[in-house]
Amino acid sequence: MQDEKEEQLKSIRKKLKELLVANLSLEGVKPENIKDDEILFGEGLGLDSLDAVEIVVLLQRNFALEVKDMSEGKKIFYSVNTLAEYVYANAKK
Amino acid sequence: MQLPQCVNNMKNKNKRRGNEFGFNFFKMLVNFTGLRGAYGFLYIVCIYYLIFDLAAVKAAMAYIARRFPKDNFLLKYFHVYKLFVSQGKQLIDRYAATQNGKVFDITLKGYDEFTDLLKSGRGFVVVGAHVGSWQVAMTILRDLKKTVYLIMRPEDNPAVFESLKVGKSEAQIKCISPDGFLGGMVEATNALTHGGVVCFLGDRNYGFDTVGVKFLSAEALFPYGAFHLAACAQAPLVVLLSAKTAPEHYELDARKIFLFHYRKGSDKKTQLTAWVQKYAHALEAYVQKYPYQCFLFHDIWVKG
Repeated sequence: MQDEKEEQLKSIRKKLKELLVANLSLEGVKPENIKDDEILFGEGLGLDSLDAVEIVVLLQRNFALEVKDMSEGKKIFYSVNTLAEYVYANAKK
Repeated sequence: MQLPQCVNNMKNKNKRRGNEFGFNFFKMLVNFTGLRGAYGFLYIVCIYYLIFDLAAVKAAMAYIARRFPKDNFLLKYFHVYKLFVSQGKQLIDRYAATQNGKVFDITLKGYDEFTDLLKSGRGFVVVGAHVGSWQVAMTILRDLKKTVYLIMRPEDNPAVFESLKVGKSEAQIKCISPDGFLGGMVEATNALTHGGVVCFLGDRNYGFDTVGVKFLSAEALFPYGAFHLAACAQAPLVVLLSAKTAPEHYELDARKIFLFHYRKGSDKKTQLTAWVQKYAHALEAYVQKYPYQCFLFHDIWVKG
């Protein structure tokens, strides 16, 4: 069960990285070079609030998901890992 | 998101002109003599500001110098006076509309296109500017039967927020602060997805990224967040400008409705610049027609 969860998370992380590279202006960055614990905003990937728009849209279009609770937003959008956890948890519901 | 100190400084410099006594005096005039009585006193009060409020004159000069480039200093000074009087009238109107129950006659140019957009049920972005009285324009947003989100700081317009009941449970007008999580962009995107209307003032950047576009024959910096949001969410973008055309009449212009989308293979910044340029063109056409209704009291132009 744990292995199945980890496999699905791995698949989600891979897809997220591909979507981030395809949709955001990440010059010279390849999906495989993005670390799972890479911080998304500010440090790490250095994304800003306008990149957040594209992430919200790609979550809606690719996973049919929406982040409604802004108090949870900081945790969800922290890193690739946290974003993947959110996708996994909400896709199951 | 921490804003740069220069933005916080700008916020402090843009405090209202005048004091509590002055504002209460004009409120009393409105209550007892009506709009025209209050307007009459403005001509005297604005002379005081013209002579003694050098910071205000300087703030207005950045725009006046570019709108009237061929005029000498004295004429420009006179243009500043007319700008102050015009602004004063619209501040009086704002009080009358938002706190005194005054109903202005408001006409909408682009009525058919705008109502088609409303009927479509789609969310859309509205981009206004510091021209005319956007606060009076907001009073019609209450009647849209859609949830409207204003991207602005509540503390910048407390009177308007109070009168429109912004953020109150029964209100259809809510506020998304650009100081919030990721500049409020997550909430703004969600709002569009659910058919809401998201409103920006397109000539104020709150310290966020800008692009340089041509405005009044020089390069000026305008924020591009609204355009980026509209393109990503594939939501229409309406340029909404208001103008006072008679003592008790305002005209809103919503004829410019755009649908932007990013073309693959083309640089996003270049595309954004072209879209913001369209907005700047619309704004320039407006200030050519209504030169004394542009209340850009800070220098948005690039030096050099």
